[in-house]
Amino acid sequence: MNYTYLFVLIWLAYLICSGVLLFSRGFLLARVSKTETSTCRRLSTNPNDEYFLTPEVVQEIFKDVNASTSSNLCLPQKSKVIILVVDALKYEFGVYKENVTEPPLPYENKLDVLHRLLQQAPERARLMRFKADPPTTTLQRLKGLTTGSLPTFIDIGSNFASPEINEDNVIDQMVKSNLPLVFLGDSTWTDLYPRRFKRAYSYPSFDIFDLDSVDNQIMQHLPKELASNDWQVLIAHFLGVDHCGHKHGPIHDEMARKLTEMNDIISSVVAGMDNDTTLLIMGDHGMTASGDHGGDTDDETNALLFAYTKQHKFYTSNNSGSDSEMLQQIDLVPTLSTILGVPIPYSNLGLINFNIVPAIAVPHLSKFQTLLLHAWQNAHQIYRYFFNYAMENKRTFNVEEMDKLETEFILLTHRVQTIYNEAAFKSFVRDLNINLRDILNVCREIWVKFEPTQMSQGLLFSFLPIFFAFLLVNNSNASEYAQIFKPKEVFYTFLINIAAGVFGYRYYKNFSFKTEEHGVIFFSSLLSAVLLAFYTVRQWKSIANNWANVKRFGHMPTRLLLFASVAVFFSNSFVIQEAKILSYLLVAIILLLVYELLQLSARLDFKNKFKWSQFLRSTALRLVLASLLAICCIRFAYTLFRCREEQGNCADFASASTAGFSVKKPAMGKTYILAVVIIVLYTTLTRLYLRSCGNLTGNSPNVLLARYGPTVASICAGGHILLANSAIKNIQRTHIDTMALVIYGLLILQILVVSWSPLMIFVLPPKNPNTITVNGRDSIVPEIFRKMKRMYEGDDAERRYEIPVVYGLATVYSSIIISFGVFLAMLMIVLLEPRASIGLIVCMVVGAILLSVHGILRYRTASSFESCVQPTFSAVVGWFLLAHFCFFATSHQTTLSQIDWRAAFVGRSSALGQSHLISGTLVILNTFCGPIFFYCMYSLLSTETFSLFALFPNLIKSSRNSNANNRSNGKASAAATALSDLANDAVGFDMTRGELALYEYEDVFLGAGFKLATQFFMLQGLKIFCAMLACTIHCRHLMVWKIFAPRFIYEALATFVGLPALIVGYMLLLRINRAVDGLIKCINKDK
Amino acid sequence: MVSRFDQQKTKHQLFHVSLSLATILICMTYMQYRRNWAHLGSFWDSLIVPIVFIGELLKVTLARFFGRIEDGVLTTKQRQKKAAYFTPRELLGGLTLQFLCTLLYAFICIILGAPVLANYEQTFVLSLLMTLLTVSPTVFLLGGGGALQVCFCEKPDFITKCEDTALHLFKYNALGGILGAWAGSVVAPLDWGRDWQAYPIPNVIGALLGSALGNIYACTHVLYACGRVYMSKKRA
Repeated sequence: MNYTYLFVLIWLAYLICSGVLLFSRGFLLARVSKTETSTCRRLSTNPNDEYFLTPEVVQEIFKDVNASTSSNLCLPQKSKVIILVVDALKYEFGVYKENVTEPPLPYENKLDVLHRLLQQAPERARLMRFKADPPTTTLQRLKGLTTGSLPTFIDIGSNFASPEINEDNVIDQMVKSNLPLVFLGDSTWTDLYPRRFKRAYSYPSFDIFDLDSVDNQIMQHLPKELASNDWQVLIAHFLGVDHCGHKHGPIHDEMARKLTEMNDIISSVVAGMDNDTTLLIMGDHGMTASGDHGGDTDDETNALLFAYTKQHKFYTSNNSGSDSEMLQQIDLVPTLSTILGVPIPYSNLGLINFNIVPAIAVPHLSKFQTLLLHAWQNAHQIYRYFFNYAMENKRTFNVEEMDKLETEFILLTHRVQTIYNEAAFKSFVRDLNINLRDILNVCREIWVKFEPTQMSQGLLFSFLPIFFAFLLVNNSNASEYAQIFKPKEVFYTFLINIAAGVFGYRYYKNFSFKTEEHGVIFFSSLLSAVLLAFYTVRQWKSIANNWANVKRFGHMPTRLLLFASVAVFFSNSFVIQEAKILSYLLVAIILLLVYELLQLSARLDFKNKFKWSQFLRSTALRLVLASLLAICCIRFAYTLFRCREEQGNCADFASASTAGFSVKKPAMGKTYILAVVIIVLYTTLTRLYLRSCGNLTGNSPNVLLARYGPTVASICAGGHILLANSAIKNIQRTHIDTMALVIYGLLILQILVVSWSPLMIFVLPPKNPNTITVNGRDSIVPEIFRKMKRMYEGDDAERRYEIPVVYGLATVYSSIIISFGVFLAMLMIVLLEPRASIGLIVCMVVGAILLSVHGILRYRTASSFESCVQPTFSAVVGWFLLAHFCFFATSHQTTLSQIDWRAAFVGRSSALGQSHLISGTLVILNTFCGPIFFYCMYSLLSTETFSLFALFPNLIKSSRNSNANNRSNGKASAAATALSDLANDAVGFDMTRGELALYEYEDVFLGAGFKLATQFFMLQGLKIFCAMLACTIHCRHLMVWKIFAPRFIYEALATFVGLPALIVGYMLLLRINRAVDGLIKCINKDK
Repeated sequence: MVSRFDQQKTKHQLFHVSLSLATILICMTYMQYRRNWAHLGSFWDSLIVPIVFIGELLKVTLARFFGRIEDGVLTTKQRQKKAAYFTPRELLGGLTLQFLCTLLYAFICIILGAPVLANYEQTFVLSLLMTLLTVSPTVFLLGGGGALQVCFCEKPDFITKCEDTALHLFKYNALGGILGAWAGSVVAPLDWGRDWQAYPIPNVIGALLGSALGNIYACTHVLYACGRVYMSKKRA
């Protein structure tokens, strides 16, 4: 047994992945968060305090507004604040339409309390557009809403694990100013701000199918809290609307119900609040037409803000010059600080919007003086932050731009001294706002900066292992690997890598790396590259020999296709249309295979005369028809693709204004039924296949599991699809979840069984007089007849008695891989949406056809065992494209707002806890089901040739016949020779033995498996390398954050997941090989 | 077999290639003349298909013309074949074969991503053009049965030398046409917003350019071989 290859694979995977990781660290750099906090001198209306507001103090302040004593002031608190955050409250939900069409859409005019209040008291109520910055996910929005800073790209992935904020934020400022806070609702808040609240009623936002429980809990506690008087700030975060959007979309009766519920809550809060309280109702983001969010379309970024006070009027845009139509979300932080009289957080970049600040007079200050003081505090804070940041992170900003901004600011500091009336104030504030917005825009443009060293090293360190693997592995024969990779050397390689890692971890600072991780990756990759180069140089002679034998410009069409598939990354329009391009290329690969096959076999089948009748009966035609079926499947998968916003007329993103506003998952009853039917068909077909191979005979554990497991699993998967999407309301979640849990359990059971006793064969007790390996399709009767004849003739019957009979030996390798794949597929089906699971099965059909076409093609072009076990380059590329095509066929798209988070909740409501690890795994399994599945099954490419010929031995004859005739015309005896001899003629070994032949040439077979895995490593590595290169080239492209970066993230994740999947596939192969080894030895011993 | 400029075969090849290139040049001129390319996808409005059709016919006539010289040395089989050329059976077979091929190409267009329930005319024009570039010349030259044999069997013995030369050149033409049409799709997803990015136009132009490239490749081959012979002779 040889595990060396496995470790080499792990080593290569580590090298490629670490290169990608290093690149992503440099490319997706987060904003440097600063931990400084703001403080202020609190002007107080209480005569006992230090800074009691008197006319003298005011005079002193206005003597020099820029003096350090007056540049950080806090004016007294204006009112208490109630903040009701309604998750995903879109702007359109709150706008009252006078003349709606009958019947109104479910979300229209449901929040009529807002309209009523606006009508009653226009000067005490405000309804504004609340503009969010992308990414529009709740965690990022909460960060933006409390720190006033721009969110950065990299935070997106951490929606599951919300860590505590360490930047200065408005909540901390409230706590420091001794304003008691009460919080109710989404536990994301308490994760971000642990121990800040006086009382917190937080509930997990975990289960997105649950529309009501969090809201009900809030409603239960809210009246009590409203009545109690010991808080200054009350925050309630409702989740129902968002969950309803995710589950049903905005156009659904449930949405109407949820919004009406919200309406009632708002009414009751309005009724219950006292006179010096400001009520702020806001959505943290909007939603697309399908109810999802995360991107940066208008639908997602336009949320609603409503402000109301009972007694005090708000300032108007007339006196302040603030925008009364729209409020940027980062502007909330300074505004809130103004209302509450706390310092504006240090890293805020927003402006105070006075439209929602209650106009409460401050003693001894005129109205415009109050506003001026507020606005100037804000400006000072922004400049302090901006210039400190620019000082510490040099070369972040453009020097000329900085100079311009600074000059403008200095002008403004002079101008502020001379403002003595309202008109001057207004024009001043206008200019100030323009200047501050400029700063915001500069930050927004530059914020996400790149680290070129890490990026270039990442590129280099992912390229080197791919390059050397190509030289070393791709250009050596499968039988030579045993000499190249000796166990001891690989062991030392690992030791050296670990040593390099430890060295990097310890001394990373001496080499001016920023993180330990960078040091570890740098040194281990560097040493590994040297080691790989050493291996290559040592092996150079045979590499050069093998290389000389390779045909120049061979596989040109396939190379062209591969090139096209990786070139996609370099153009944004290609990335947008990638699904179609991939299917185009995949179809081309299949056509290419068919062409090769036709060219090879048709010319042989019809020697001199073309006959339709013969053509219609030939294997070639059947294969052509099968390939056409595969291509039609691919074409059908077009209907399963998910569109993206840039493609135009995408229902997921259709804005509310257009007529084609689609309901989420419209009338999908037929799809569910179709999905269930297809799942049942799939299990039946695989079962039939396994049975016909003789692998379902006997009572060994794996056979039992393979016999009954898929049936149970398919029933559960079908039931899960139907129940989870049914219109019936009162199904208990636990019942649905049980079905998913059964499938999880079955997969775990399968893994255990495979690792314990994998073989799916049945050794017949020796007394049975049958003598040959029976594979189901081979008709039994002639065998019996032959046997009887032999017994009659006494043809060494003695010896034959001794030969044991084993069912399913001809497919001993592939059967296990297939049955493992069935369970894996079932798991993915239950995680995927019904529509997507159809796509998965369609891809598997295409895969099966690809395997069989390639199997026959391979046999006909092979000249020895080694070439027979190695798939052709076209097939490898085809399999690779198929794996990636499957990603799109399962209704995925490479945008960040279209991640299917629902998978995280399948089977999770009751058991399995709330671990983020499991959620992440489930989402990854859902998203990358294609690469994972097809990479795990990759070894079928080399084994299927053998099982195919064991199943249909006639194929050998047909191809052989013509070949023999071709070579020497008058060989009439060809038909008479036995099949095994024919095969011996062709490829130098007995093809009728099926996959047992693989065991006989064990070394070559394992080496070929290793080579195949490495080839997939190289293809995947090439792809991710091109993705990285495209990101590097386009890093200042307009679309980099919208198209290239998400594409890179998806590809990087596919690499991180795909390479281990390949390793799992190889481990499966090794385990089976060991079991076969044991079996053969055991049989030999018995004899 | 050394090739020289004054050989019949070389002459045939060069004439053949220049005919193909001329056809495509005429197509390009026509397109330039029409300015607007949007009509390329329509059957009645565009002259591309007739031009290519005439071009292929001319090539076959050329082959016949050069074939006349060999008439004296034909085997009986070849003679039989030639006599059967204009029988209704052959003609019908050839037409059916071409029709089937057009259908096959239309099907391939659809499975490669053309709309299933729309743009019939465009798909039809494209598949007709592909048929004309790939299958038709062979059918015109050898009749339906002969074309099938050439495609699927070993080299049949009824083919004259001259026909063989033509077939060899047709192969370049066909291969270039298919690859060009296939590669033409590369501009389809780009967001340039030009009207010539609409469905059949890039593929039609790609097919024409591809076959031109194939012909140029063949031409270079011939010229290179002749040139080498010529040079070595001169040196000697």
